[in-house]
Formats: sequence, structure tokens, C-alpha cells
Amino acid sequence: MSLALPTARDEAWRWADLAALPELHAAQPAGGAVDTGVLWLNLGGPRLLFVDGRLDVVMSDLRTLETGAVAVETAHPLGRLAAGEGWILRLAADQATGGPVEIVHVATGGANHVPALIDLAEDAQASVVETFVGDGWANRLTTIRLARSARLMRSVRLLGTSGFASLRDEATLAEGASLIATVLGAGGAGSRVDAAVTLEGAGAFAEYGGALLARAEQRHEAAVVVRHAAAQGTSRQLWRAVADDRATVSLAARVEVARDAQKTDGEQSLRGLLLRRTATVNLKPELEIFADDVKCAHGATVGELDKRALFYLASRGLPDAQARALLTRAFVADALARIGEEAVREAFAADADAWLGDMS
Amino acid sequence: MLQINNLHAEIDGKPILKGLSLAINAGEIHAIMGPNGAGKSTLGYTLSGRPGYEVTGGSVTFLGEDLLEKAPHERAAAGLFLGFQYPVEIPGVSNVQFLRTALNAQRRIRGEAELSGGEFLKVARAQADALGLNMDMLKRPVNVGFSGGEKKRNEMVQMGILDPRLALLDETDSGLDIDALRTVGQGINTIMRKPDKAVLLITHYQRLLDYVQPDFVHVLADGRIVRSGGPELALELEREGYAGTVADDVAERAA
Repeated sequence: MSLALPTARDEAWRWADLAALPELHAAQPAGGAVDTGVLWLNLGGPRLLFVDGRLDVVMSDLRTLETGAVAVETAHPLGRLAAGEGWILRLAADQATGGPVEIVHVATGGANHVPALIDLAEDAQASVVETFVGDGWANRLTTIRLARSARLMRSVRLLGTSGFASLRDEATLAEGASLIATVLGAGGAGSRVDAAVTLEGAGAFAEYGGALLARAEQRHEAAVVVRHAAAQGTSRQLWRAVADDRATVSLAARVEVARDAQKTDGEQSLRGLLLRRTATVNLKPELEIFADDVKCAHGATVGELDKRALFYLASRGLPDAQARALLTRAFVADALARIGEEAVREAFAADADAWLGDMS
Repeated sequence: MLQINNLHAEIDGKPILKGLSLAINAGEIHAIMGPNGAGKSTLGYTLSGRPGYEVTGGSVTFLGEDLLEKAPHERAAAGLFLGFQYPVEIPGVSNVQFLRTALNAQRRIRGEAELSGGEFLKVARAQADALGLNMDMLKRPVNVGFSGGEKKRNEMVQMGILDPRLALLDETDSGLDIDALRTVGQGINTIMRKPDKAVLLITHYQRLLDYVQPDFVHVLADGRIVRSGGPELALELEREGYAGTVADDVAERAA
């Protein structure tokens, strides 16, 4: 299959760096044994292990989850490549999974594409934690349908050593439904986190954000569009970007408020931290509002670590690298604080700390 | 303990300290007073190694070692503590986390065992109680939302926890009401008035010296110590101002 990729001429892809993808697309996974022991948080829920995009049946514990063809369509240029077999989490009204669903994606090179569907009926409730590790290109399309008052907590950590991770989330929220999605990029692979969230029912709540940490020549990018199509919806997009060396982190966050979506409450907070002057952070907050009675706030700032704070910490005995790590940890803390389960939140914070521990 | 010889330092190429000499022995409390712009804060920052404060001449020996060769965090581990005139706010980092990290970093450099969370909290609670700082404030982000007085108390709690050999206290009395001044003064005496420790109080006014009696008082003007004496010198300066002392020095130097 030939690979047709968007180019930087397309505004939505102007900061994307997809140059590595054709080669990964053409390559084959190296295969071999993988040890995923430390990646499981053992939260008591279902677990799925995908190795190079294929379900490892022995290591997985599906329970009510299904696997197989996922019948969803998308026009998204990367999302539509994820057309093979995937996983489905379908919950009937008032159902919940027994503990968070844990999904680990291991890649050994080449490219793998997995579609997924999370379909929650009225008042159903789920938490899904996904972890990406290894090398190669992991491409995912995740379709999320939340019926009235359904609640989904979605937490994704990108810890790949090399290669690229592209996520495309397409979510629709009915009346009073709630989605809280948090993405942590703390590995060595590049990424594109791409999401379209539509609040279709009144009073829905959507939160989509995270922390992207990049060093060396790495590129992270998030492009999220939240569309308020009904009244009294609330949305939050809180992103923290950290760039060291010659790395680039780009955040494009958009809020659209339709004409009927009165009493919308939308907030965006995009903040970038440059650990070196040679690094780059691009921020693009966008508001498109057609309703007249709305409250939309957005803030976008890029800065460096506070020199006074660094000296204050040094004067109390902290070596420079430790002082910088402590301040950087504080900078990203807000973004990870949104994760509901303590064990998941702490695991993500530990991954961020591991990244910060390598600061020089 | 501290031997400063003919110290010259500048900021952005502008000389501030111009041949300052001072010796502090263990068990002594010294006060440096002087008019605004004399270089009082520069002395504290230069001794603690703040970036941008460049030493252009002279030497500083602390506990027998060359202080100026050390990085700021190594100076702290060697036993130097700077109490800031304007303590820095650090959102997102709790006092407890900050101080435990700092204390353990110092202990690591000194080759001592690190303290566990429980051991550290015991030390922190004792120091907070001694200085009338609510333990809840130690769990809050460093200095964020603290009043001026609370920030200064927090500096003293930090000093108590880190247990330095020499404290340089830069305008620790500024922003304090009379009750806080007494508490902070008592804190300095309790923590630092010991035979193996010493204090250098950097202050504009005499009032802290009512609570922390100095053994020696020095007047700093135009980057040098122009006069030294006992505690009575502070009272004289309070009564007559700096103008006379400073003018005498200028006349002497001109002569």
C-alpha cells in the first residue's frame, strides 16, 4: 500500500514532521521477545497487549472487551490508515469495567495500525490507560461515543524509544457526558496527538490536555479541536510543552462554539517551557465563536525557568540539574493532576520524573 | 571560620565591592550596616555565588577552604546559608518537598545518609513549631501567597532544618511586625548562637539588633568596611545616621 501523507502546506499539518513515516511504513518489525512486566499497573481491570499491532492472546485478559474489525470511518489522513483489526470497549447502560482497562502497545520497528471503539451507553463509566513503548510507527484511530451521562477517563503515555506515535481521537458526547483525556509524551519517539471532540448534547464536559516533553531532535505535536454544538457545555484544554536541546513541541488547540451553544464555558491554557534557547515551542490557541452568551478564556505563554528560583534552590544545596528538574516537574504537574486514579497519576508522574532525571 | 580579604566584585561591569576585608570566627555574631547602595546585598550574593556577581579580586576562605571556587550548591553543603531579603515564590513545589530535596542533596555531598520522609517531617515539625509557622504552611508551595513576615519565618525554618555553620542574613528584619521580629530574633539565637556557628546580619536598621545582640558591628560604605566596633556602634549609627561616618571615610580617602 502506498502511503499518502499530508504536507506542511495544509494548515492543520504545518508543524507536523512526518518525514520518518515512509521509511517506517516500508520496514518490517524486528520481532523478538518483549518484557512488559513494569508497564502493567495491575489495577484489576481488563488488559490487552498489542505487539506490533497484533493482540497477544496469552498476555491479554479481555473480559468484556472484544477484538476484531472495527467498523468506523474517518476522513482523517492518518486515522484512516488504521483500518485493520482492533479492540472494542462497549458498555451497556449503567455498566462499568471492573477497574481501569490497561492497554500496552509494544512495537519492534516498522509500522502498525490499530483502530479502536469505545462505546458507552447511558450512565456507563470506564477508564482506559494506554502505554506505548518500543520502536517504529504506532498509528491509532480511537472512536469514542459517550451516551447521556456516560463518563470516560482516558490516559495515554507515549514512552516509545524511537520512531513515531500518531493518535487520532474522534469523540462525540451526548447530554451530560464527560470525557477527561490526558496525554503524556515522555519517551524518545516523535508524536502527533490529534483529536476532534464534539459536545453534541447539552451540559457535556470535555477535557483534553497533557504534557509533552522533548529533547535532542525530537518533535511532539498536539492538534485538538473541541466543538461545542449544544448549550451549557464545558471544555478544558490544558497543555504543557517542554523542549530541550533542538527539540520542537507544537500545540494547536481550537475551540468552536456553534450558534446554539449558549452558556458555553471553554478554557484553554497552553504553556511552553524552553530548557535551552535552541529549542522551539509553537503555540496556537484558536477560538471560533458564533454564540453570543459564552465564557471562553485562553492563555498562551512560552518562557524559561525562573533564574531567581534556580539560584534560590542552589543556595539551599540543590545541584543545577536537580533544581531544573524540580522546577520543570512543577511546570508539568497541573497537566497530570487531571488523571483521576491515583495509581495512574503516580505512574505518569514517575514517567515524567524519569525523563527529568535525564536532564543535564 | 570566614576570612574575606580585599574582595572586589562587580555586576554588569560595575564595581560594587571595592576591597572588602572581614574575619568572622566561630561563636561570633557580626552585623554589617550601611546606607542603601553600599553593597550590603551584593556581599551576601557574592559570598553565596549568585550568577552575575563577578569576583574581580581578593579571596574568601570558609572553614579552611576556598569558598569562591565552589558552585552555589556546594557552598550550601559546606555550611553556608543565605537568608534572602526577598524570598522567591516557587509555584508547584511544596516547602516540604523543596526542603527535603535540599537537605538530602547537602547530606549526599557531605557523604551523610539521606533522611526518609518520616525522619525529615520530624525535623521540619520541630523547626516550624519553634518559629510559630503552621505545619500546613510547610505543605504549601514555597512562599506562594505568604505574607512578608511569613516568608521571613519560612527562611528561618529553612535555616533551622538545614542547620548551617554560617548564616548570612540579608535584611531579615525587613517587612516584619514587632511580634514577628521577636520570633525571628529568637529563632536566630536558638539556631545559630552556638560555639561552632556564626552569623553575619546584613541590616539597614538597628532594631533587629535589640533581639540578636551582635559581638561586632561594621559599617559598609561604597564597597568597603569603613568602621568597626562593638554593639554600641549600632546605637550610635541609629542616633546620628550614616552621614557622619561615611563622610569621615570619604575625607580620609581623599586626604
